Amino acid sequence: MPYIPQLQPFQARSLADGFIVATSRSGDFAFFSPSEFDQFQSAPATLPLEFQAELRARFLLGDTGPHPGTKRLITSRIAAKRETVLKGPALHIIVPTLQCAHSCQYCQVSRSLQDQGHTMSITDIEAACDTIFESASQTLTVEFQGGDPLIRFDLVKHAVLHLQRRNLSEQRRIRFVVASTLHQLDPDMCTFFKEYNVYLSTSIDGPRDLHNRNRPIPGRDSYERTVKGIELARELLGHDAVAALMTTTSSSLADPEAIVDEYVRLGFKDIFLRPLSSYGFAKRNQILLGYSVQKFFDFYQRGLKRVLHWNSHGVEIREVYACILLNKMLSTFDAGYVDLQSPTGAGSSVLVYNYDGYVYPSDEARMLAETGDKSLRMGRIGEPLENLLQSAVARSLAVASTVENAEGCCDCPYNKFCGPNPVDAQAQFGTLFIPVENTEHCQRHKGLFDAMFMEIRTADEDLLDLFYQWARPAAGVRD
Amino acid sequence: MRRIKVRLQAQVEMCVHRVVTYENLASEWSPDLRFFVLVFSAENQAGTEALRQSGLANIAWIEGKGLQEGDIVVPVRDKQEVLVLLREADAHHSLFMTNRCNSYCLMCSQPPTLGDDGWLVGEAIDAVRHLRKSPPVLGLTGGEPLLLGTGLRQVLNAIEQEHPTTHVEILTNGRLFSNRQVVSDILDGLTMPARWLVPLYGHCNFVHDFVVQTQGAFDETIGGLLTLQAHGQQIQLRIVLIEPVLRVLPELAAFIGRNLPFVREVALMGCEPIGFALANRELCEVNLHEWGETLERSARTLRRFSIPYLFMNAPLCALPQSLWSDAHRSISDWKNEYAAECDGCAVKESCSGLFSWYERGWKPAPIRPIKQAETIV
Repeated sequence: MPYIPQLQPFQARSLADGFIVATSRSGDFAFFSPSEFDQFQSAPATLPLEFQAELRARFLLGDTGPHPGTKRLITSRIAAKRETVLKGPALHIIVPTLQCAHSCQYCQVSRSLQDQGHTMSITDIEAACDTIFESASQTLTVEFQGGDPLIRFDLVKHAVLHLQRRNLSEQRRIRFVVASTLHQLDPDMCTFFKEYNVYLSTSIDGPRDLHNRNRPIPGRDSYERTVKGIELARELLGHDAVAALMTTTSSSLADPEAIVDEYVRLGFKDIFLRPLSSYGFAKRNQILLGYSVQKFFDFYQRGLKRVLHWNSHGVEIREVYACILLNKMLSTFDAGYVDLQSPTGAGSSVLVYNYDGYVYPSDEARMLAETGDKSLRMGRIGEPLENLLQSAVARSLAVASTVENAEGCCDCPYNKFCGPNPVDAQAQFGTLFIPVENTEHCQRHKGLFDAMFMEIRTADEDLLDLFYQWARPAAGVRD
Repeated sequence: MRRIKVRLQAQVEMCVHRVVTYENLASEWSPDLRFFVLVFSAENQAGTEALRQSGLANIAWIEGKGLQEGDIVVPVRDKQEVLVLLREADAHHSLFMTNRCNSYCLMCSQPPTLGDDGWLVGEAIDAVRHLRKSPPVLGLTGGEPLLLGTGLRQVLNAIEQEHPTTHVEILTNGRLFSNRQVVSDILDGLTMPARWLVPLYGHCNFVHDFVVQTQGAFDETIGGLLTLQAHGQQIQLRIVLIEPVLRVLPELAAFIGRNLPFVREVALMGCEPIGFALANRELCEVNLHEWGETLERSARTLRRFSIPYLFMNAPLCALPQSLWSDAHRSISDWKNEYAAECDGCAVKESCSGLFSWYERGWKPAPIRPIKQAETIV
């Protein structure tokens, strides 16, 4: 008999507001009250016809017939979600030096300006650039991180020029980003950045006091100098040529509103309320700087609310974490945020070429190496890309981050939007293979997806407009 | 299609001709085409007959009010009448490909018949050959053109050859693209600029299948759309605004956004009050004005997914003002009219107006003239 409703494969989860969210293979979702959910599972044919139609349209209900068209549609939806992982490494991070003028407590990696030896050789820089072109991806982002790369502007310049020269024949779309405190930024650098379309990414942790407490330098004026750098960059490169990232420390938790307001005051269009990962800083500082997943939620929820408040008052500012989550939940096209890919983007769509001559799967992995755990080295800079992508580390990361292999993910409705983060597991537990539900990554994202689903369920039309706008991959989700 | 009463020279072939003036006959004449010479005097008529007798077998005189130079016409057997297949001055040009169909839509304006009308393919190719000026867009309609298989491809090839700059729009339910042979016959190696206009009436099988009165149609249309996408073809989805569709329209819009983001645009169309729509009046007659909120919500949903949309066959006074800029003048010239109320309307110039058979059927909403003051937002 046609049209007799049958359950399709789904996963479901109770939300704190009493409703249940269920997701289908395609990543479409529906909300149920507990009684509706019982009815859905035991006798879907008794649900109101309109609701049945909505559930069919989300592939939570189907019927017996062979539906080759619908089957193809679901397959193509799943493929679209994976496309960004499969098209080859698109984000290439070069760490030319670990030197930095700051001595941030949560930063484990940077070395003082007097330090010798934590800097990449010219040979390695050129070899890294050549490897980048071995990637199949037509669009490439090359990001310089540190330390503070502007302390060795000569190396950044060398790399950009080398890449540009080769690109005359390669014809790829290359986007350059330099992550820096901007303290060293001068007009000559800006002239160079303008010529080669280099974007700047800096750090602002919040209002002056918080920022200066988080990021100490001898003059105690890190904030002032970064803001000066931002102003110079905007003047010479344009307002949108510089973005900022913040790191949430335990000192940040008390006043997320002030942090958001600071970003609005400085005219940024994005703010990324990022948690501090448990491995970016020395273990001894954990108690001083660390905080629980729950504390981060509270901070995040308040911060997001503040961002939404500004938007409803006509100030355009996006919260990047929400953009990432909403992209997963609401968009057919994946923006390719590395940490939520399955298999992980680390070591497949992202590669890090470190000052030490080795290639790592992600920024976090090279930081882990600084704490002594060098197990995530994929190979030496200069090895063929093919070898790096097929290395034992890359293969283990892929296996460890595949949702289908992870018991804790199989029953999770968010497994279409998320996946295990093995680099995180390695940092937290010293192994890639750990039951996912034990990881901070899992606890945090379950909570964040829960929170966003509750937002969506009760959102008015204007808020939904904003959420769909944020969900578009063009929102330029950063790693 | 226009029918025009004519006087026609005896013993003409019952096939496609181009209408030409007596003065231009010499410059347009070609041995492989057929011409009706539009005559206004006994002198021209005699002249045409003389030419024919002297060996120009592919010309004959015609007389008829309303005929225009360049018209592509075909005589109706046993009647002093011609059908105008194509007219240069029209804003919309289309060729009728078949009256057969594999769906049975509630509001079908062109109820299908069973008889073999394969000769229409030859007639379409002939019309394309006779057409003097390449139109920017040429529509192919039915019935269901995919039923013609290779026949449709022959028409496409003829258009590509004769009118390489013309964009073709094929109105199809896409269902037969679930058949590999049809896909290969029609799409393999097809490089001409084509757009496929495919109706979708529901966000799930039982809604769509009900509207098209055919079990399994939804799944086949979805498969067809994916096939068109895989072949890099442009798609316009078409949604006719009858009651069972309006009831699910916002959900349908979201379904399109999630699943079919590759379509170029979605056309939301007022129902043509003719054909099956008259028989299913209780489902097809709606007052669009009462559905304004539904239309706005659906448009908003499509915007969320960045999917372009437009309204067709919907007079501006039937739409919320927020949607006016999305409404197009879409009704084919020969069946487009305005109501008495439209005189004095400030936006008549940019309004689609009505299907000329609204008198026998219904209007999409109570029609009222818009005052100049209302147009200032």
